Amino acid sequence: MVRMLAPAGSIEMACAAVEEGADIIYVGPLGFSRRPYESEMSDGAIREATEHARSRGAELRVVLNTFPTPFDVTRFLDKALQYAQFGASGFIVTDIGLMRALRRLLPDTVLHVSIGSGIGNAQDAAFYREAGADVIILPYRWDVAEIEAVRAASDIGLETFLFETVQTGKICPGKCIMSSYLRFRDWLDVEGSRDFHGSANRGAKECYRVCQANWEFGVPGAAPLELKLRRDARLMLAQLPAFVRGGVTCFKLSGRERPVAMIRDLVRFYRRAIDEVVGGASNLDHHADELAELRARWVREKSRRVDTLMDRAASYAV
Amino acid sequence: MFELSTDVGNLKELREGDFSAYDALYLGDFSCPDYPNNFSSHAELLEPGLELVKSRGQKAYLRLYAVPGNADLGWVEDLIDTALELPFDALEVHNLGLLRMLRDKGCRLPIHLGVFGNLYTHETAKVLKEYGVTRVYPNPELSLDEVRYIADNAAVEVLVPVHGKIPLVISETCFILEHSEEGDECGDGSCSYQCTQEHWLKRGRSDGSRADWSLKDTGRMTLSGKDLCMVEHAATLAGMGLKHFYVHNKGEARGYASQVGRIYRDALKRAFAGEAAGDAAEPLATLAGLAREGLCNGYYFEGAGQRYFGRT
Repeated sequence: MVRMLAPAGSIEMACAAVEEGADIIYVGPLGFSRRPYESEMSDGAIREATEHARSRGAELRVVLNTFPTPFDVTRFLDKALQYAQFGASGFIVTDIGLMRALRRLLPDTVLHVSIGSGIGNAQDAAFYREAGADVIILPYRWDVAEIEAVRAASDIGLETFLFETVQTGKICPGKCIMSSYLRFRDWLDVEGSRDFHGSANRGAKECYRVCQANWEFGVPGAAPLELKLRRDARLMLAQLPAFVRGGVTCFKLSGRERPVAMIRDLVRFYRRAIDEVVGGASNLDHHADELAELRARWVREKSRRVDTLMDRAASYAV
Repeated sequence: MFELSTDVGNLKELREGDFSAYDALYLGDFSCPDYPNNFSSHAELLEPGLELVKSRGQKAYLRLYAVPGNADLGWVEDLIDTALELPFDALEVHNLGLLRMLRDKGCRLPIHLGVFGNLYTHETAKVLKEYGVTRVYPNPELSLDEVRYIADNAAVEVLVPVHGKIPLVISETCFILEHSEEGDECGDGSCSYQCTQEHWLKRGRSDGSRADWSLKDTGRMTLSGKDLCMVEHAATLAGMGLKHFYVHNKGEARGYASQVGRIYRDALKRAFAGEAAGDAAEPLATLAGLAREGLCNGYYFEGAGQRYFGRT
């Protein structure tokens, strides 16, 4: 069965995504899902979102994809148990030790390996299967050949972001701590009191997306190039039929931090496209105009967000 | 008492460099298989490299490629097969797929988890021990208190970097080559080793409209601009019960490892003997002179990675 995961950075977004046909929505608890607090949810809101999703026949997964401090392990597991009691059907996790612990505590839950785990080959997928994971998200660089390699090595489920594959640049989720080297901020009250100082990878400190800002690059003494460290991935469409044929069963839309109206339109668009592919369509060219418009909106929003994050970074003390 | 280690990329560097201050050497550049005569990608060089290290009375750890894709698994497996026949003191892995491969091959050598293994919790260390991991290099974002907590609660050795650039990013592709005039993909034989020249990423503006940031780039890896420096905190490290210390050498000029190693050998020796630390001014001046962008303490004292906290 092919399913679509949609973001829910707020209750409004959760409702919109379910209304437009998302099979599963995902939410991030404050301080545990690598996003600024505006895109995360309180426990009360998560409970509300879970009840709403379930009442409409959808599921809710909880993003617990920080690498917590070792001091926070008990709290991490307690939160997961609470969300399971709310009715959450699964978790998106990064830390292997906590993945193993969750598998033992909640044997029937669905465990997704977060992109932050930095999976790079089929043997990695098999490793995570052994650690208790049910689903891996495909790295941004992977295409059909890599999907086939994983399927030959493991029976783990396959999920992909709805982005075209990208081969060049520094695309290193799970292998990057640039942001916290450069800037840090303390926890905000809204994120809850914590007894350690962390980074984007560890919760409340946002990633400033420094890889998407302009840098000067070169050898000292020579004229530098002005460039970004990575090229932005474009929303996917043409690759979708091949990925379904390859065995990808979960298509994930990112964007908890995006405007609700944009997520509503994207869920509606991809619901139609996925249903067509599942129904046998192999060519989605007739969606080209709509896709172009959505891509343009996506890029505009992304630029705005990177500017906001860089301004924030600049405003914090070194 | 304690172990001080550093890294050496290939046989030429090993032969020509002075690594006498170190107890152990990590052989190979884990970031780039195309680095010239890299121990991590040249099985035929393992035996002569190992012999040379052993002849100097040091331990030899072999570094495996940190970010192998599916296409790399074959050649890395061949290298592992060669290494398993040799008396290395340990293998270092960053990639969990390779760790699984080592387990399946019945590897009896100790395994060290490298910096890009994403070790943040003692719970993960416990899982990795089941695969043969005996030493972990915790993610640089962790504080000293967290590092010690992991060591104590997972009963595992921890490698504590004490000096050098902090590895921040690793990529499967070469950023230098992607932006060179040749512009060809790395790995197709066209690499002209431009990474032998220093490359920097800068983001400063004199008018203050941009934060003043600098990072060093070695092509597939981005490093901190500043050099981590813990020479003033040797007594703290010894007092915490930490015993395995490391100097990051990759990307530095010849002579760096030698100068830095001598300073840390002396500082750690005093600290572990319970002697008062010597005057830090001279060693600090030497270390600062080797660090183009200055010194920092990384994340050890719970702050952003660029900060430096002196002993007093």
